[in-house]
Amino acid sequence: MFQNQREGLALALPAAIFTAALFLLPVGILLSEAFKVDGSWSLQGYIDFASKPLNQVVFLRTLKLGFLVALVSAVIGYACAFCIVNLDGKHRGRVFGLIVLPLMISPVARTYAWIVILGRTGIVNDAIVGLGLSETPIRLLFTETAVFLGLLQLFMPLMIISLVSAMENLPKDAVPAARVLGAKWLQVFTRVILPLTKDGLVLGGTLVFTGSLTAYITPAILGGSKVLMLETLLYQRVNVANDFVSAGIIATILIVMSFGANILLKRISSARS
Amino acid sequence: MSDAFVSLQNLSLAYGKTVVVPDLNLDIRKGELIALLGPSGCGKTTTMRAIAGLMSLHGGSISIDGIDMSRTPANKRGIGLVFQSYALFPHLNAFENVAFGLRLKKLPKSEIASGVEAGLNTVGLSHLADRKPAEMSGGQQQRLSLARSLVMQPKVLLLDEPLSNLDARLRLEMRTELQRVQRDTGITMVFVTHDQSEALALADRIVLMKDGLIEQLGTPDDLYNRPETAFAADFFGFENIFNVSGSIITGPQGSAPINFKAVDGHLAWRPGAIKIGNGSHQGTVRGVAFAGEQREYVIDCQLGQIKASVSADEPAHEIGTSIAFDLPKAGALSILVT
Amino acid sequence: MTSTWTSRIIIGLTLTFLIGPFFIIIAAGLSAGDFLAFPPEGLTLKWYIKVFEVESFRDSFALSMFLAVFGTIAALMLGVPAAYALSRYKIPYGETIKTVVAAPIIVPGIIVGLALLRYLVVPLSFTITLALFLAHTALVLPYAVRVVSSSLNNLRSDMEEAAVLLGCSRIGAFFRVVLPNIQSGVLAAFILGFVTSFNQVPVSLFLSGPGVRTLPIDMLSYMEITYDPSVAALSALLAFMSVVIVFVAEKFLGFSRYV
Repeated sequence: MFQNQREGLALALPAAIFTAALFLLPVGILLSEAFKVDGSWSLQGYIDFASKPLNQVVFLRTLKLGFLVALVSAVIGYACAFCIVNLDGKHRGRVFGLIVLPLMISPVARTYAWIVILGRTGIVNDAIVGLGLSETPIRLLFTETAVFLGLLQLFMPLMIISLVSAMENLPKDAVPAARVLGAKWLQVFTRVILPLTKDGLVLGGTLVFTGSLTAYITPAILGGSKVLMLETLLYQRVNVANDFVSAGIIATILIVMSFGANILLKRISSARS
Repeated sequence: MSDAFVSLQNLSLAYGKTVVVPDLNLDIRKGELIALLGPSGCGKTTTMRAIAGLMSLHGGSISIDGIDMSRTPANKRGIGLVFQSYALFPHLNAFENVAFGLRLKKLPKSEIASGVEAGLNTVGLSHLADRKPAEMSGGQQQRLSLARSLVMQPKVLLLDEPLSNLDARLRLEMRTELQRVQRDTGITMVFVTHDQSEALALADRIVLMKDGLIEQLGTPDDLYNRPETAFAADFFGFENIFNVSGSIITGPQGSAPINFKAVDGHLAWRPGAIKIGNGSHQGTVRGVAFAGEQREYVIDCQLGQIKASVSADEPAHEIGTSIAFDLPKAGALSILVT
Repeated sequence: MTSTWTSRIIIGLTLTFLIGPFFIIIAAGLSAGDFLAFPPEGLTLKWYIKVFEVESFRDSFALSMFLAVFGTIAALMLGVPAAYALSRYKIPYGETIKTVVAAPIIVPGIIVGLALLRYLVVPLSFTITLALFLAHTALVLPYAVRVVSSSLNNLRSDMEEAAVLLGCSRIGAFFRVVLPNIQSGVLAAFILGFVTSFNQVPVSLFLSGPGVRTLPIDMLSYMEITYDPSVAALSALLAFMSVVIVFVAEKFLGFSRYV
């Protein structure tokens, strides 16, 4: 650790000032505007926002989808991460690379695939009509299910990566030791694996939940105006109605929810141990 | 002292608000090999870093060869430091590691090449000039680090725990190497260690430190045979230390009389000085360990625990048996309490 | 062994779900019909060719490339010194600085775009391109700092002290000793930043003007008007570009450990 504070500050401050002045300041002003009505400080904007049924529906839907995506990611993620960690070195690297890969691909491209799959002439509908389950194609796009699938595909890798790195740090003999002591697999999971990987779960859960809340493309393409989420609602409010107050409110809600999720998950995980 | 080459005066060092070294005065002579010895946290490494200029002074001064260096930046002091971790540059091969400092001096190419060759030769690594540090053994890395410092012809060479990362065989080799280098170059060396045997084997003088203060300063003979404090005695192997008043000694558990007159203060014995089998004290064998030529006993008695070590040729005493032992006048070290 | 098979099936299904859709996109882009369809109705390369002929795609691709390359370089120029300071110096308010620099990850991108539009572009007459550049730099900065920091933390700092004792200045030690040893971390940060910036949508939603659109935004608006397979073809091409980048990066840097 070097002691020259001035030298250290000279190196660190440009980045901090840049972010603070050109990023946090404008965002801060935007957020603060939602607390103003006719130039004076007030919570009236929030009260009005919360009283509109559409806003309530969208808020709850966003929360629900975020929670579901995080939950399902965690369940599949644990199974998948456990399998990956048990692979030998070469295969592990390859599979891990394949899991990371989708994260590097444009979310537009990733989401667009679901139009092909779920569209009126997509594979799923072809199968349904072909099997005679329905006379005409059924609507799969612009449903919550479509948005859920899109978000799951988008964010599950983050959960798997977090869990894999948590499991790699697991003491190598912990699981066999528990088995030898007579634990059933479920007990091994709840008593050994879960407590020892909870940091990974908290990290992955926060990333997936926050990602789902603030995703724009997936609800825009797969949900449209039928399945609005907070982010698409924000875009609509600004574009259609120049409603910057609602934009500020939604922004604040999104930020609070992201932070809240992280704090809550940390709480839950530390309460367990 | 007038012949001081490195002089630390009223040196005080601190990390933030934590003062590690309150007030240190030390003179090191030219060409001397001096050891800063002490347990971890005693301030020996901090002192060494301050000499190198890697740590700003909280107070006092450091002068080298009569010049005040207290404010001189580390890269202008002309001091070499061999790090405990060697701190070699992983992206450069052995040759370039040694050449690093010479290149910064902007010496002509031929001079650099011959300097590096000589440096690698000194430590016997000329055949590995193309190797990267990662492809070398611990001992080779250590010698490379030494060569890198030596080619700069530093006024003082500092070594941080130079032997601690080496296995027993390499340790002996490196120790010999350091002594040879020191004799050949006449360079002033200061090395930091927590191992009393290293300090005894290598140093001309030993500075024993405790809590940032000098506990005792002297030759290896002084410290080994005439430790002046209970701490120094304990550090150099007087494992049985008791308070003494008149003819009564007192340990943690209780007191016992001794059969000779001693000066009030402490009395200390090495395990080897204690006679067992007969004597005026009585105890129970708590533990016994065979250590080759010696057998080491732990004996419970009214004073507390006694550690004794006797020739393995003597018959062994089993754990739990009662045993008589003697704390003889010969081999007893008397420490005055000041 | 049954457990091997179970594990293979789990991994296989997960990968199918995560990666399978890309194969469908590639095929859909090959469809000869005028509307998006899968399985493809006949095979043609015309949509893949058309992608290069659409002028707005070319312009927006150029803009996205510009932002991704120069935004990331700017982020590294700010981020590398900051990461160095945060890992090596004891600086006052270090934690605050860390939080400030990491903040862009937490703030939803759509708000950033909107805020920059309202408070930089409109009142201060910044151009849209400049606002986009600033936003992308700020957005990539946290990744740059994080990846470079982890490289720095794996590098022992006594190496720099050794360099200084051999006569280097502090700055010299950084360029001669630190930088060569965190090269692959910096390169990984560049790639991660490039990809993040190139694929970024929400920030750019409000930051678009006549003729100034990033590629993903352009694709979104193209999709709203036309239902032909060219977006599928373009998506497939973009996916292919990412695959190549990641493959090369993985091969030479072991990229996935930096993500």
